[in-house]
Amino acid sequence: MSEKCKAKLINFVKKSVFADFIRGLYITFSYNFEGAMTLKYPDSEKWIPYRRFRGLHTLNKNSEGKELCVACELCSRACPTDCITVIPEENDAGRGIADRVAKVWEVDLTRCMFCGYCEDACPTTAVRLGREYELACTTLERGTRSRDELLLPQPVPEALTGGVVAKARFIRSADGIKVVAELGKVRQRKL
Amino acid sequence: MPELGLIIEVVLIFIKVYIVGMILFMLPLPLTWLERKVAGRIQVRLGPHRVGPKGLLQPFADMVKLLLKEDIIPDKADRFLFKLAPLLAMIPAFAVFVAIPVGDTFTIPGIDYVFKLYISDMNVGVLYVLAIGGLGIYGIIFGGWASNSKYSLLGGLRSAAQMISYEVALSFAAIGVVMMSNSLSLVEIVKSQGGGFWNWNLFYLPVGPVWFLIFFIASLAEINRIPFDLPEDEGTLGSGFHTEYSGMRFSFFMLAEYIAMVTISVLAVVFFFGGWMPPIDPATFGIKVPAQIMSVWGIGWFIAKVVVFIYIFMWIRFTLPRYRYDQLMTIGWKILIPVSLITVLVTGLMRIFLT
Amino acid sequence: MIEQIFFYIFAIIAVVSAIAVVTSKSPIHSAIALIITLLQVAAIFILLRSPFLAAVQVFVYVGAVVVLFLFAVMLLDLGGEKIKEQFHQQTVLGVISSVGLFVVLLFMLSRGSLTAPTGGYTEAVLAKNTEVIGKVLFTKYIYPFEVVSLLLLVALVGAVVLVLNQKGKDGV
Ligand code: SF4
Ligand code: SF4
Repeated sequence: MSEKCKAKLINFVKKSVFADFIRGLYITFSYNFEGAMTLKYPDSEKWIPYRRFRGLHTLNKNSEGKELCVACELCSRACPTDCITVIPEENDAGRGIADRVAKVWEVDLTRCMFCGYCEDACPTTAVRLGREYELACTTLERGTRSRDELLLPQPVPEALTGGVVAKARFIRSADGIKVVAELGKVRQRKL
Repeated sequence: MPELGLIIEVVLIFIKVYIVGMILFMLPLPLTWLERKVAGRIQVRLGPHRVGPKGLLQPFADMVKLLLKEDIIPDKADRFLFKLAPLLAMIPAFAVFVAIPVGDTFTIPGIDYVFKLYISDMNVGVLYVLAIGGLGIYGIIFGGWASNSKYSLLGGLRSAAQMISYEVALSFAAIGVVMMSNSLSLVEIVKSQGGGFWNWNLFYLPVGPVWFLIFFIASLAEINRIPFDLPEDEGTLGSGFHTEYSGMRFSFFMLAEYIAMVTISVLAVVFFFGGWMPPIDPATFGIKVPAQIMSVWGIGWFIAKVVVFIYIFMWIRFTLPRYRYDQLMTIGWKILIPVSLITVLVTGLMRIFLT
Repeated sequence: MIEQIFFYIFAIIAVVSAIAVVTSKSPIHSAIALIITLLQVAAIFILLRSPFLAAVQVFVYVGAVVVLFLFAVMLLDLGGEKIKEQFHQQTVLGVISSVGLFVVLLFMLSRGSLTAPTGGYTEAVLAKNTEVIGKVLFTKYIYPFEVVSLLLLVALVGAVVLVLNQKGKDGV
């Protein structure tokens, strides 16, 4: 029997016992036991991203609690969308690491595209993009975040590696909705 | 004055029809939920889970949504037919269940009344089921035509052609069953398969499995499910014959489709999987079980088998892609019909020489 | 008594819808009327203790033949046909032949009697209606049966040949 004939015969037998169908059906059936990849966000779960994630900006302090920002405006210059406003002032009360500090440091999140150039430009690693990603807001004012708020410690501490799914609570309040993660209860995500 | 027995009989029939009708009306609710859950699991998702525990109330939410939707009748549509079509699709689906037996009889202890677990045991049950089941096509054709939309019309046309092609194979499969079981009555067909799973028509070797496959493929095409759902092919036809339907009328079509799926599952169980017969009959081991317990047990088996079939239909739906139209016709005319002709011959010879 | 009432119901509906078949403007509506007529005939078959014929009637005529009609009608788009076109030059011939048929039927009916004696089949035998038909068909009437199937075969082959010719001409 020639090779071609043989291949044809095998093909015929395969077709008449529905070999391909059965393989397909087997694959989809096996998915039944894999569990879902879906996260129950925002109901009861929340994804904690890795450190490399580029979310809401944070302004950092050094270990003595002094602001790292020296108001050099480099971030503002580096920003492609021109959304950072820095107005420097002089302050020798020791608020920052130098006596030049930012009087105003604002980022317009409605324009920011989270490229991270500000982070790269900063000479003192003062500005970092953090892991907060629930930025939807109902008023335009909330779209602009200023220094005071950005200086607060992040909800997800730097020490946590991330890349896990945490249990979370869904909170609806006057300033909008928030999903608050309980960082103690985490699980790995199925991939 | 007719005697009391007759009146009771008639009243019982009305009650049975009412119960069966109600069950069928309600059935799509759990089935839509099940279908989405199955789809979810197979696609590694969750499926509905927000309305009620495990999303169990999702069908009710859908129902409310469908009821509240605006009922649109397109301009220049044939209004009468447009309104009639969903009913035409639905009524035959219900009517088929008149002949479906879920069990044999249940002797009520004490008064010794023999309660029949079917509405009617016609001596042409198989033909009735196929004939009435086939009428559902009119809903699709008329719906497609009356909408005055080209997509709907094409859906209706495809449906008509598909139905005519596969009706032949389906009837052949039914002929095979009739030959194997030696009766046209559904109750008799099930009874002929009693005694254990090796007596089921599926295991009437070597032709049983072939008949089953022919039946299964043809019925998939009859009820327009994937991989043969060309009449409502989203990719090319909008959504086929019900493109123009909305609200409650649309849900009638959906209802008919789900009931058709149940019907085919039930028929597959009755024809090939021994209906209400448990796979292993205690009587073969000489164990005596009261008849009442056996009939309740049998209904349980019947429902279990039907559920397995419904699952298989859903499983196939979320596994296979859709056939092309010419492939559909090739499968129908060039494969199924010749194979069934040969199988008729083999079955006939087996009946003559083996019994 | 009850049977007679039902018979008249079915018969009247059948006749009315048969008239509707030829009078309605849209071919689709005609098809619906035709379906109703055929269903009524099936119902009358049941009254005549022949559920097998009734089921076959529904199965073949309603389930397949009318679907084919509809298929053709929809494919050819006959929707806009005018009443005028329905009565083309054959009006005279049509009237003559139908009146003739009617006269013949009336004549036959007036000569014969409407109450025929019951045949040899009792109710008990008729309960096994399908088997009776099968037996008769394959013993006593085997010759006509075979002739009819041969005719159908010829028609089938003829259709195939016609289509093949067409294909050759179109160069497909
Ligand atoms: S992330 Fe990019 S766009 Fe956003 S503030 Fe920084 S530099 Fe500008
Ligand atoms: S955040 Fe960094 S780059 Fe921006 S003004 Fe402060 S020190 Fe300069």
